[in-house]
Amino acid sequence: MRILIVEDEARVAKRVERLTREIVGNDLKSLTHINTLQEALTFIEGNELDLVLLDLNLNGENGFDLLKTVVSESFHTIVISAYKDQAITAFEYGVLDFVPKPFNRDRLERAFNRSKTKEEPNAQTKYLAIKKRQRIKLVPVEEVNYIKGAGAYSELFLMDGAKELHDKSLEKLEQLLSPSFERIHKSYLVKMSEVREISVQSGSKYMAELQNGIMIPIGRTKYKDIRAKWF
Amino acid sequence: MNSKLPSCLLLTFILVLTTSCSSDNAVFERHASIYRVGDQLEWAAKELNEEQWHRRPKLVPDGKVFWSRTKIDILKAPEPLHPYGIHLHVYGEYEVFWDGVLIGKNGNPGREEELGPAGKMWTTHSIPEHLTEEGTHVLAIRTSLYYFSNHLGIAELDINYYDDLLTDRLVSTSFMHILAGAFLIVSFYYFFLFLGDKKEYRTLIFSISCFLFFILIMTEFIKTYVPIHYALHRDRLEIIGILMFGISYLIPLYLSLEFPYPRKKLLLIIYAVVLLFIYLFQYDYFVFTARKMALTMWIFSLGIIVFGVYKKMRGALLVLMTLLLCVLIYFFTSYEVSLFAGFGLILLSILYLLSLRIKSQRLAYETSLVQSTRLKLELVKKNIQPHFLMNTLTSLIDWVEEAPRKGALFIEALAKEFDLINQMEDQTLIPIAQEIALCRTHLEIMKYRKEIDYIWEDEGIDPEQKIPPAILHTLLENGITHSLPLKGNRIRFKLIYESNEDFRSYTFLTFAKIVKRSSNKEEGTGLKYIKARLEESYKSNWELSSAPTDQGWKSVVKINQKAI
Repeated sequence: MRILIVEDEARVAKRVERLTREIVGNDLKSLTHINTLQEALTFIEGNELDLVLLDLNLNGENGFDLLKTVVSESFHTIVISAYKDQAITAFEYGVLDFVPKPFNRDRLERAFNRSKTKEEPNAQTKYLAIKKRQRIKLVPVEEVNYIKGAGAYSELFLMDGAKELHDKSLEKLEQLLSPSFERIHKSYLVKMSEVREISVQSGSKYMAELQNGIMIPIGRTKYKDIRAKWF
Repeated sequence: MNSKLPSCLLLTFILVLTTSCSSDNAVFERHASIYRVGDQLEWAAKELNEEQWHRRPKLVPDGKVFWSRTKIDILKAPEPLHPYGIHLHVYGEYEVFWDGVLIGKNGNPGREEELGPAGKMWTTHSIPEHLTEEGTHVLAIRTSLYYFSNHLGIAELDINYYDDLLTDRLVSTSFMHILAGAFLIVSFYYFFLFLGDKKEYRTLIFSISCFLFFILIMTEFIKTYVPIHYALHRDRLEIIGILMFGISYLIPLYLSLEFPYPRKKLLLIIYAVVLLFIYLFQYDYFVFTARKMALTMWIFSLGIIVFGVYKKMRGALLVLMTLLLCVLIYFFTSYEVSLFAGFGLILLSILYLLSLRIKSQRLAYETSLVQSTRLKLELVKKNIQPHFLMNTLTSLIDWVEEAPRKGALFIEALAKEFDLINQMEDQTLIPIAQEIALCRTHLEIMKYRKEIDYIWEDEGIDPEQKIPPAILHTLLENGITHSLPLKGNRIRFKLIYESNEDFRSYTFLTFAKIVKRSSNKEEGTGLKYIKARLEESYKSNWELSSAPTDQGWKSVVKINQKAI
């Protein structure tokens, strides 16, 4: 794992660093600590990362601009902040977890676990941040119809028929969007409220028909679970 | 809603004035008077050869007796048993003859030097009923003018029912005295208000204006019931002139304070000179002097008010309307009525302005109460606001886990800062030493949190001085938040105190690498707190500057010596 810590409180940063090493253990490939907003942005642009641990208040600056940028990237973001009231907004922007200060090892470990499992569904994401030529566009989740995996990144198919690219993988988006979105196929993440019906086609091919008539395949292994859970 | 009350008051005021001055249809017509120096009782006769009689002579010296004859047409005979009377305003001591019959005596004409002043300026005499049938009659007056030999003539003449002549004047006088009494009370009230707050010169100016207006009314109407000899008339007019001068200066002075304009002092001095010129050098004919002063005042006030209205100052429109109303009254009534109505109205509108002012002062006071409570809260909040508290606690947990001894020291520093804040919580000014102690403790805490070598230096501190709590602490917090350490992981802060005749100043320097602020659009809450604290203790006698330097950041708090 390649992890970046953005934190301007030296002692807090040291703590995060120490606990991260303990939690992640041998999986840790790199661990960097940066204490200013500008440097963090530069570093994110030039380096491959898996996880960013972000303090939202750096040197008196409001970190939400930085937050918008990081959530549009391919990696997951965990916010560590003294301001609990920022948690809701942070979740809406699509962070994996919000760890309020002060925190202990257990709390941080739980946040790390979220990046591995989907044990705790996160339905609070309201926007997906998309990189659009030098700026970040926030797409409301309610406008997303379904998402198709495309290698390292994903394609968002919107209600109005438009298509947007997101830097996060389908797995990561699934972690942010479940349970209202369901992985019905290894390449598809579908908003279940949009599914009109499930049909069986020749060769025992299962298809989900969406409200707008689009047919999306259901994975053979997933069919039973979905049927049981949703219909 | 607000402007309704004053306009109602104005209306009542005008009604009172106009009813007290209304006049009935005249029952007589007066012809030109003719004069003759000399003294013959036959000259009183109704029929007389008037060849030797002429128009009014310029003067009749040495208190010599002269006669005047005036033909008067009675247009309507009186009701039976209800005689007419004649009201006269004539200079001198005189005897009044009506159709040859002596109907009144005022003083001792021709013997003034010998017997001394007697009689009064305004007299009312009843006319025998049988001499007032419709037709032409002759009023003959035998006069001597020992004191003002050039003031010949009948200044005022009125014929009406004798009873009405007497009562009408009493009625209008009593109305005017009610008005005077009101202004006297207002004058006292505002004088007491001034005694309560001696910085409020406006209340004093208003109080004096009202008092002068009170005396003006009294001086004008005292003639109804106090006999004034014509020799004293000039003194009375001089008093009126001085009162007019006073009021004519004070009203624009008040308006200048209420509606300030550029070059106020200069214009007020010029205005005073103009008024003084009118008062001293145009002092030949009293009524004109008073009239000119009133006009000058009106023009100057109008200028001030038009500027006030142009600048949209509160209350200016009402005063403008009042001034225009005065003109209206002047055109529709007599000079005397418009003078009193005008002054009265203007003073009323000023009363309204003062009430607006008291209201805004009350609001300002209430706001200041809220403001100090807010500042107190903000001070208390410094140590419990999440950024400080949660970061401190997170660091503290780490210290306790990693190095418990240091953790204990950290807790001690934290306790000390809490204690210092608690001590200054209720103060608006604290000793500078206490403030510095707070800053040093804060640095102690921040050393544990940020692991940066913070250094505090101060220079020229006068331990006697006091400052508002936590303003340097706030500058220090800003310095810590927005800066990165220089070489050797070090940030240095320096406080320099300087004072001279005009100012005391605290210069707070941060030696560090300043983190660029991405958004500079709004002023930080820290600076707002400092400004509000300075305002609370020093009103507007302070300056705060805050700007980056080559080596870091520099903030200067300057406090005017006169505010201390």
